[in-house]
Parts: sequence; structure tokens; C-alpha cells
Amino acid sequence: MNGQSSHQQPKDGRHDDDTALTEFLASLMDYTPTIPDELVEHYLAKSGFQCPDTRLTRLVAVATQKFIADVATDALQQCKARPAVIKDKRDKQQKEKRLILTMEDLSKALREYGVNVKHQEYFADTPTAGLDPATRDE
Amino acid sequence: MSDGGEAEGTRDEQNGSNLRSGDGDYSRAISRVAMAQICEGVGFEGFNESALDSLVDIAIRYVCELGKTTRFYANSAGRTGCNIFDVVQGLEDLGKPLGFTGASEVHTDCVVSSGAIREIKEYVDMADEVPFAQPVPQFPVIRERRMIPSFLQMGETPAFKHVPQWLPAFPDAHTYVRTPVWNERLSDPRTDKIELARQHRKAERSLLNLQQRLVCNGSSVATTSAEPCNGGNGSGVNNNGNLSLEKPLEAEDIGVSRVSIPPKLSSQAQTEKQVSLLETFAPAIEAMKDGLDSGSDGEKTFPEKRDSVFLELKGGKKVFGEPLDLKIRKAVGRTSSWFGHEGEKDDKKRRVEFILRQSLENQQELPQL
Repeated sequence: MNGQSSHQQPKDGRHDDDTALTEFLASLMDYTPTIPDELVEHYLAKSGFQCPDTRLTRLVAVATQKFIADVATDALQQCKARPAVIKDKRDKQQKEKRLILTMEDLSKALREYGVNVKHQEYFADTPTAGLDPATRDE
Repeated sequence: MSDGGEAEGTRDEQNGSNLRSGDGDYSRAISRVAMAQICEGVGFEGFNESALDSLVDIAIRYVCELGKTTRFYANSAGRTGCNIFDVVQGLEDLGKPLGFTGASEVHTDCVVSSGAIREIKEYVDMADEVPFAQPVPQFPVIRERRMIPSFLQMGETPAFKHVPQWLPAFPDAHTYVRTPVWNERLSDPRTDKIELARQHRKAERSLLNLQQRLVCNGSSVATTSAEPCNGGNGSGVNNNGNLSLEKPLEAEDIGVSRVSIPPKLSSQAQTEKQVSLLETFAPAIEAMKDGLDSGSDGEKTFPEKRDSVFLELKGGKKVFGEPLDLKIRKAVGRTSSWFGHEGEKDDKKRRVEFILRQSLENQQELPQL
């Protein structure tokens, strides 16, 4: 009896979970992710993901979109947090600058996610460019 | 610090290139547009090219990583087809570095209560729906493959017993059996030699011409000598032009144009001592005149320099139309060679001797110039 009752509860729970899952997936189908389904299918097929169910591909697309949106939001924060460089003649428009996604902001934002993106600050013509003349002779 | 950065950069570059080489341009272009749209939705107004490229790389990697992890979980469970649970587990794996609520309760039966799904749910509820900008066709496009027909389809029976009929048929015999081929090779080395000899002749002719011009210039003090010299020059040049332009086989023009010159030259050679270049040839010219037929006297200095190329000459052997080579050979054969030795001598040796003599005479000429 006890076993039965204990068994029953998880069953009900699972049933609820199943309905919740189906509801979630149905709601997912309503939402059209920005990343097109074909693109996601292409890359998933490359990785060996085999599933004819489009809901799963939608799930993956939404997950990726969420991830990128998070990264972009963090980069935006970085961009806004930087003090305004341009000092306009009109003081009221001091903070008015175009929000541009730069490599610096992106690398700072990605560092939290464990992605190390380093950007070349400048490119030199020769290996000895920028060195002291003394070391260059060597 | 900078060195460490460089090393990491190269490593990333290699990894990136590995991944990048697998991506097609088309899929990357689509990803770029999608990423740009997402960023625009977040609030950005512009991008740096490199930043956008990096973001695209990261997004592609994320999708691939999620697919790999999902597949791994499915394979661990003994399946090849992935289902929602595998995807959720993969999501949780990818979200672990950053952490999500409910991370301690992973791998429960209820998937929806998983933290990762909850976050996605919230995102779906919150975010605006921004569909992709353009319609994307199904890709990659799989082309219809033409299979090699099997034995059965060809109506053939395989030659060997161990070969079943449903395998692709063998190629036809003519594709691999060697059949005799007639070796019709043209005498290429011969034409090459002829061409080489012709070019030698041209070079020598121009050299002679130059020397004659120098000689004539040197002797241009006397007005009487100028004219025939120039005339000789002009004709020489003309003849040079004629000789260089036409092939050795045709010789009619040469014969015709040269009729008028030799008398001049011979007379000139006799009268003037300065033009020793022509003097050397005077005896030769006369010898050749004696040796050849009466009409064929179109010999000049230049043709002497020709090697006796053994050409197969067909057609009319007119007196004037006779090619010079034949003339030279005849001259050499009939008269004692004008170098003063009998019998056949090598063309090269003859030419060498001639050039040496020329240089000697030039040494005599130069102080006069």
C-alpha cells in the first residue's frame, strides 16, 4: 500500500510533467526564433544530432538565441558603462553616442562565459617593427 | 602577457580555421544576418566587422556543441535518435559554467522543472519575436547521384562466380584493355634543328650587316664610296629583310633581287681597298659565279654564311628559284671550297673560321673608324 501510494505520486507527477512538457513545446512552436530552422538543422546534422522532430530544433534555436542575447546584453552593458569619450559642445547630449558592438566589449562579456576571445590591437609590417634599434640590430 | 596572448591567439585561430573550413559561406552568411538581428533586438546600433564575425563563430560553435552533447547522451543511453531529455541534459551541461538555478537537481525525471528549461521559458515569454529577415531554402541541397548500374540492370552476368549480380557492373573492356596504337610521330627533332639553324643564320646575318655598316660608315669620307656602300647597305638590308622573312624553301625573290647587286659589289670590291670585308668575298663570289650556271649568279656575302641545311626541296628547280642552300652545296661540291680546303667540313668549323677572320679584319678596320 505504501509502495503503491508512493508509486502513484511520482506517476501523477510524471503525468503532470509530461503535460507541462508538451505545453512547453507547443508554446515553443508558436515562437519563431530569429535563427532559421534550416540553419540549425544543418549544424546539428553536422554534429550527429538525429531527430526528425522540429520542436527539438526549435528548442535548440531558441536556446542559442537566448545565449547570444545574453552575451549581447552583457556587451551592451560594457559599452554603456564606458565613460563617454565624445564631449559635445552641447552638454545635454554628452552621453549620446552610438552603441556599437566592438571587440573589446565582446571579449569582456565573453570572458564570463568562459570564452577567451583575444583581439589583435595592431598589426605590424615586419617582425622587428616597433622594437628598439639596438635590439633590431641583433 | 603578450606572448601568452599570441599563443592563445594562434591556437584559437587553428581551432577556428578547423571549424571555419567546415562551414560553408552560405550558412555563415545566414548566421551573420541572424546574429545581427539578435543584436539589434538587444539594443545595438552598429557592429564592428570582427566583432560580428566572432559572435557568429561563437553561435555556430554553441549549436555544434549542443548537438554533440545531445548525441553523446543519446549514445550513452544506447540510442542513435536524440530526444528532448538528451537536449535538456546537453543544455544543462553547457549552462554549468555560468550556473543556473536548480543546477543541483539535475537529471530528474521532470524535465520542465529543470533550470535550463525554465530559463528558456522565461526568455520565450519575455523576448520579442523577431523572425529571420529572409526566407531560407532547405540546405544543403542534395544532388541526385547517378549510380553505376548493377550487373542485373546492365543485363550482364558477372564473369566470376563469386560476384553477385546486384553489385555495380564492371567497366567496358575498351576502357582498360590496351589496343595497338600506330606511332605517328613527326620528325620533331629535325624541325627543331632546322629552326635552330635558321635562327643562327639570322643572327649571323645581322652581325654581318652591322659590321658592314660600320665599315661603310668608316669609309663614308669619300663620296664616291658612300653611294655604292649605301646602296650595298640598302640592298643588304633589303636582302636581309627578304632572307629573314621568307623560309629557306622559297628563293625566287632572292635570286631576282640579287641579280643587280653582284656586279656592283664585285666592281666595288675591286676598286676600293677599304672595304676589305667585301674583298674577302670577292674571290668567293667569282668562284661561285664560275661554278654555277650562267644565269644563277645571285650570290652575295650573306648566303655564304648559311649552313648547308639538308632540306627536301621539291618542285621546280629553276635557275633563279633555286634555293641558296643548294647553291652553296653545289658550290662547295663543285669548286674547291672558298675557304681553301677540299671535301666536306663541318658547318660550325666553317662558321667559326669565318667569324675569326672577320674579327681579324675588324681589328684592321677599327683604327680607320
